[in-house]
Amino acid sequence: MLYTVSAVQVLVMLDAVDELDKRGLGGKQKVASFIAGLQDKKTGCFAGDEWGELDTRFLYGAFNALSLLGLLHMVDVPKAVAYIHGCQNLDGAYGIRPGAESHAGQVFTCVGALAIAGELGAIDKDRLAGWLSERQLENGGLNGRPEKLEDSCYSWWVMSSLAMIGRLHWVDGKKLAAFILRCQDPEAGGFADRPGDMVDVFHTCFGVAGLSLLKFEGTKEVDPVYCMPKAVTSKCLAK
Amino acid sequence: MASHGVPRQRSVEERSQEARQQEIRKIEKYQELDRSVHDKIDQHQYTPETLQNISELLSSNPEYYSVWNYRRQVLRHEFSQAASSDPEDAGIGRIVDLIKSDLLFLIPLLRSFPKCYWIWNYRLWLLEEAKHLLPLPLARRLWQEELALVGKMLSLDSRNFHGWGYRRFVVETLETLPSEGTTRKTMAPEEFEYAKKMIGTNLSNFSAWHYRTKLIQRLLDENSANDQERKKMLNDELDLIHRALCDPYDQSLWFYHQNIMCTFDPSLAGSTMAPNLSTSERLEYVQREIDEIQELSDGAEDCKYIYQGLIDCTLLMCKIQGTMPSGEQKKNILSWLSELKRLDPLRQGRWLDFERSLEKTSKDT
Repeated sequence: MLYTVSAVQVLVMLDAVDELDKRGLGGKQKVASFIAGLQDKKTGCFAGDEWGELDTRFLYGAFNALSLLGLLHMVDVPKAVAYIHGCQNLDGAYGIRPGAESHAGQVFTCVGALAIAGELGAIDKDRLAGWLSERQLENGGLNGRPEKLEDSCYSWWVMSSLAMIGRLHWVDGKKLAAFILRCQDPEAGGFADRPGDMVDVFHTCFGVAGLSLLKFEGTKEVDPVYCMPKAVTSKCLAK
Repeated sequence: MASHGVPRQRSVEERSQEARQQEIRKIEKYQELDRSVHDKIDQHQYTPETLQNISELLSSNPEYYSVWNYRRQVLRHEFSQAASSDPEDAGIGRIVDLIKSDLLFLIPLLRSFPKCYWIWNYRLWLLEEAKHLLPLPLARRLWQEELALVGKMLSLDSRNFHGWGYRRFVVETLETLPSEGTTRKTMAPEEFEYAKKMIGTNLSNFSAWHYRTKLIQRLLDENSANDQERKKMLNDELDLIHRALCDPYDQSLWFYHQNIMCTFDPSLAGSTMAPNLSTSERLEYVQREIDEIQELSDGAEDCKYIYQGLIDCTLLMCKIQGTMPSGEQKKNILSWLSELKRLDPLRQGRWLDFERSLEKTSKDT
């Protein structure tokens, strides 16, 4: 599933989804039916592959790719939405499975999937945003759970979630931008989890995407639901 | 692959020629190994040699999830060969050996990469196979040993959410695998003790507090607790959190406090430990909380959580009564809010939004 979702996203970025149908291998319908086949009939959640581990990362990935292909109706959306509600805790945030501790990464997957399904109205936005805004620490960085260390990738998981529920201004954007910039390796150019650490593509992507949500000068607008340029997703979803 | 907490090394130019050569050799070796594994899987060579190659590949890159699936294919093949061997006992012995040695292979990987989803998932798959392929006592013994392993992992990093999730799976499974002569047995009481121990070691461990909330629910439901017993549990939890809050600067404690306060919220009470409290009981409890928190503020005037707690409790009183804040309540809220704006500049936007919403409601009424 993960490679498939990435492939769909790359095709969308290159405006080449139509190529799928030109190749005569079943086209996007076939890609979508592979993803749809990974939905668990019993719970509504999705598995990552035939071996069957279920979690909300795969549910989000499925919704992401299917909606970009315009084929979200191929899966049982209400059942998946009910599963997401089951992952919510009393603090307003979400865990990876029903009963699991709230975690900012899983907040992104759950809120992102709800956004794609058009179900953001069901969220108690002030309560969730309260939990998310408490992720910011004095040094400006964000953590993923109470009493944990900051990490630049949460600049994406937390901020995209806040953006989707209209509460980006509930954290100090200037201090966060300064923290993200301190994570950059001035020589190699990439970003690390924390200042002074080894850089990698993962943290570079989410650091830059976080800067874009903060409207940092020189960045293009990112879509908080898809982590892709807004211009690309707008064009694709308007089709 | 994402790296966490790895200090940055010197840049490429500064590294010695020898170090760069070494790195290039390492990459070449990895690519060769990758090719060899793919070729062997393409040719359905599910042999011990393939398994060995896969082990080497995963040891250098455990995030390579397709290779974990190849490993499953090889193991499945070996299991089915063992199962068809004669006599039956020899086959079972062979499967036990295969599973045990694979579980052993994973230990150093889990220790080096405790945040890698695929290793934890693969381990669970292996144990699920044990459940299907082995006689109950043997399967149960393997699952039982996992409890010790996950205990060890959580003592190394008491917040690893993979570890906590894994523990829940192991417990759920053990509860459905009865030991000989017994029926299904709940493990909620001993898990409650475990969560208690973990909280005792470190009060900031929100993962353990979270587990505690889930276990309390289970204990009460499994004992078909009546309202009186539920109230007793609630009182004990309130006493505990009040004692813990002698350090009011710890966020984990306040989230646990918020969780208990849901018991008094008419729209959330249904999913809490005491769902049937009367309105007057709820009001009484919340008023007592306001008094408790005010006492905490003595000497901790700069602790923002206190003002947040006071505001939340006051709003909760209004919600229970179905009223807007009274003149007195509103005055209090505004004074606590001004402290919050002063003490918590990071979340200025949140407090300003709240202030505006208060103004709006008073205009509407």
